[in-house]
Amino acid sequence: MNIHTYEKLWLVAAMVLIVGFIATITYGSVALGITMVGDQQETVEPTELNDERFSDPRVAQVGENEYEAYVTAQMFSFQPDPIEVPEDSEVTFYVTSRDVIHSFSLVGTNVNTMVIPGEVAEMTVEFDEPEEYGVVCNEYCGPNHHNMEGMVHVVPEEEFDLTELDAEAPDEVETGDDIDVTATVENRLLDPLETTVALEIGNETFSEDVTIDGGETYETTFAIDSTQLGEGDHDWAVTVGDHTDSSTVTVVDELEDDADGETNENTDEDADGDENGTEDETGTDATENDASGGDDE
Amino acid sequence: MRISKGALLVVIAFTAPLIVELRTVLAWVNVELTVLESAVLGIGLIGVLLVWALWPQSQNNATESAETE
Amino acid sequence: MTNTYIESFPAEAKVVRAAFYSSFLALAIGGLFGIVQTLHRTGYYRFMDSADYYTVLTAHGVLLAITFTIFFLVGVFTWAVTTSLDRPVEDIRFTWVWYGLMVVGTVLTAIPIFAGFTDSEMSASVLFTFYAPLQGHPLFYFGLVLFVVGTWLAGADWFRSWWAWKQEHPDERIPLPTFMVLTTTLMWYIATLGVAAAILLFLLPWSLGLVESVNPLLTRTLFWFFGHPVVYFWLMPAYMMWYIMLPKISGGKLFSDPLARVVFVLFLILSVPTGIHHQYLDPGIAEGFKFIAMTNTMFLLLPSLLTAFTVVASMEHGARQRGGTGYLGWLKALPWRDPVFAGMALAGLMFAAAGFSGMINAGMNINYLVHNTFWVVGHFHLTVGTAVALTFMAVTYWFLPQVTGKELWSRSVALGQVVLWFVGMTFMSNAMHRGGLLGIPRRTAEPQYEGFEFEAAVGSVGELDAQIALGGALLTLSLVLFFANVIGTALNSRSDDLPANEYADTLSGPSDAPLVLDNLKLWTAIAIVLVIFAYSFPLLSIIERGGLFGPELTELPVSIGPGLEYLSTTTVSTVTTAGETAIAIIAGVGS
Repeated sequence: MNIHTYEKLWLVAAMVLIVGFIATITYGSVALGITMVGDQQETVEPTELNDERFSDPRVAQVGENEYEAYVTAQMFSFQPDPIEVPEDSEVTFYVTSRDVIHSFSLVGTNVNTMVIPGEVAEMTVEFDEPEEYGVVCNEYCGPNHHNMEGMVHVVPEEEFDLTELDAEAPDEVETGDDIDVTATVENRLLDPLETTVALEIGNETFSEDVTIDGGETYETTFAIDSTQLGEGDHDWAVTVGDHTDSSTVTVVDELEDDADGETNENTDEDADGDENGTEDETGTDATENDASGGDDE
Repeated sequence: MRISKGALLVVIAFTAPLIVELRTVLAWVNVELTVLESAVLGIGLIGVLLVWALWPQSQNNATESAETE
Repeated sequence: MTNTYIESFPAEAKVVRAAFYSSFLALAIGGLFGIVQTLHRTGYYRFMDSADYYTVLTAHGVLLAITFTIFFLVGVFTWAVTTSLDRPVEDIRFTWVWYGLMVVGTVLTAIPIFAGFTDSEMSASVLFTFYAPLQGHPLFYFGLVLFVVGTWLAGADWFRSWWAWKQEHPDERIPLPTFMVLTTTLMWYIATLGVAAAILLFLLPWSLGLVESVNPLLTRTLFWFFGHPVVYFWLMPAYMMWYIMLPKISGGKLFSDPLARVVFVLFLILSVPTGIHHQYLDPGIAEGFKFIAMTNTMFLLLPSLLTAFTVVASMEHGARQRGGTGYLGWLKALPWRDPVFAGMALAGLMFAAAGFSGMINAGMNINYLVHNTFWVVGHFHLTVGTAVALTFMAVTYWFLPQVTGKELWSRSVALGQVVLWFVGMTFMSNAMHRGGLLGIPRRTAEPQYEGFEFEAAVGSVGELDAQIALGGALLTLSLVLFFANVIGTALNSRSDDLPANEYADTLSGPSDAPLVLDNLKLWTAIAIVLVIFAYSFPLLSIIERGGLFGPELTELPVSIGPGLEYLSTTTVSTVTTAGETAIAIIAGVGS
């Protein structure tokens, strides 16, 4: 077979180009250690994501400046949203889907992976400066695909915490009884957290300075005299850092039953449900309380 | 005509990617063109091409006018 | 008396004509949907619900990427085999059978897609890739199967012609056009095994409710087993036109027959074991498998680079035969007024640009930046949307007189059409590529988000949108001119003054090609070995990880209309259902 000289030259140049491409990419992954999305993770059951990572999608600290983010994608949202991480951190994302194929793509970056039900995508990302990144799903996932978006907030070190706050108080108390407001604060960071737990009720503020060790949970109860507040509805709010949990307590003259608040509430709602059996709106309002009451039994 | 009408049309078509990409290329050297400036530049370039193609009708008019096609 | 194709092969000309017209009908509908999407995405004109966008997109993808291209190429291949072997098909009834099967398949596939626009339960808005767990109506999958079986029979028809010819010409080399058809067909047979397995073993039984679930990664991998080589199934006929028509129309000969054969052999060998490069970002496939796919993909650049050389060299030879001189001066001597030539040359030029964006896609690491962004849409509108589509439209201006016996309605309109396509695609594709670099996703009805905005380095997203809309409008205009020409030609009366049915001679002929190049069994065997090498371990690993039928999935028929409400309120309804259950429990406790 005779090949023209120019064509031979061209052939050689083409081969050099091809081998060059392969070489640069090999260099990137071997020498520079750029890892790709692969098969590092075990498979999961998409319809029941009840392992400790995905049952509670969140950001967790695993080392100094090292974090793991457990993310689920589902029609048509990401959880958690926004995902908050500190600056100068190394974050490993574990992303999976509850339903169809999605993607998890940080706009304008090379942080990009397919999210396939049953598979967990793993990606380690270094974030330097504080910035807000949009997250899109760039694989068609159903008729509302275009509404599926999320955010990754890279925040300054000092604004970042992994505090979980949960505050509880009875809905109704009798005048004269104490209102017990219980605040549960979890510090999910590895370092101790120095903070203030503050309760605001009526016009009064109660506070407590605490130090919670890394990974520990702190529980405190504020007992407030209901007489001072007087009869009626009172809004309360517990604040820890940027986190707030709030609700309303009603101080009544006399409770209908002698039983304590919770059981009472339960019977109350049951009666309510019977009366308004046909009325949807009230029914929905009552649902949540009912469910918790039902659990108690 | 320096080139055939068909070739002229194709050459003008070729200016489209040049103009469109010129803006991107110039941005690398910190020259930012607006859309209007790009359009004016494009029309100018097409004008120059037309002049170049149509102007020198002086020599060998008879043979040249029969298009090369 | 002329020597047109219709004079030599009147019966075959009818089939080829029918295939072309079927292809143009798909092009017309698909093109119309194209402009609808352009205006919807960019926000210039939204007359439909955004959920319907995905039905439009499904139809656009299937009709253009599958129906338009494949109907056209079976026409071209039938022409190539009959012309180059100089013998009619063995049994014209068989030829009509496969054509008919392809038509039935297309119609069956189109029914559930178009039902997506109505209130009916039926739908298949699953896009061209139909990734499970999105589920289309069974008819959608069934139609695709029939269509593919039609193409298999078409391939059998071409092989049958070749075998019959070989009996009569035992010592002759396979004529180049037939060689190209046969290698492409073999590649297609291997490639379609993937989609056939995906549909017949998994998706169709699943959509019929015979199996409970599927392994989404498995069906997706099987799709791309087919999904990448299908690209070469579109591209090979365009290459064939560049090899055997372009040199002739340039006024010369093909530079080298042996290298043309080498190129097609390389495509046969390397097209299939590359599909995983569409899955660089898939969790569940080891990096090593992705690396193998990337290496194969990079080597697949070789035949395209060789083609670039041969095509340009052949054009230069033609130009010099026409009196062209100088280093670049010969360019002026090319027949630019001929729409067939101008269209193919412009398509080839666009393909060079597409090659560059393709190299970016192929790089495992850079791919992360552009994967599933608008960049990819820009890329394949240069490849299938221009290199293939524009070449097909350009050669239509040569083929139409051949298969109808009528003179082309207007050569000037034809030239304007191909130039307009080039300019329109320049605007549209450029903006798509740039938009992709900003992170704008593909396949979305409204790439406008609430929480953030895309930031353009140069200009603005608004300018990109304007560029896309302008490009789309020019492309639509180009299509209108194309159809005007097709219809105008069909309405013309028969002409006796038409060019003969010929293709290009070669400078370096088949006698220069080593005999081994014609050993199709050998190349097929190598191709199969490479496929096994590239795919058996990934497939086994996917099955081992996720199971043959995958995990339990929520079935998600993607229906528009009532289904839309179901899907958009899915979260809410789950909550309400939980609430209702709770109420039921309480009620039970209370009573």
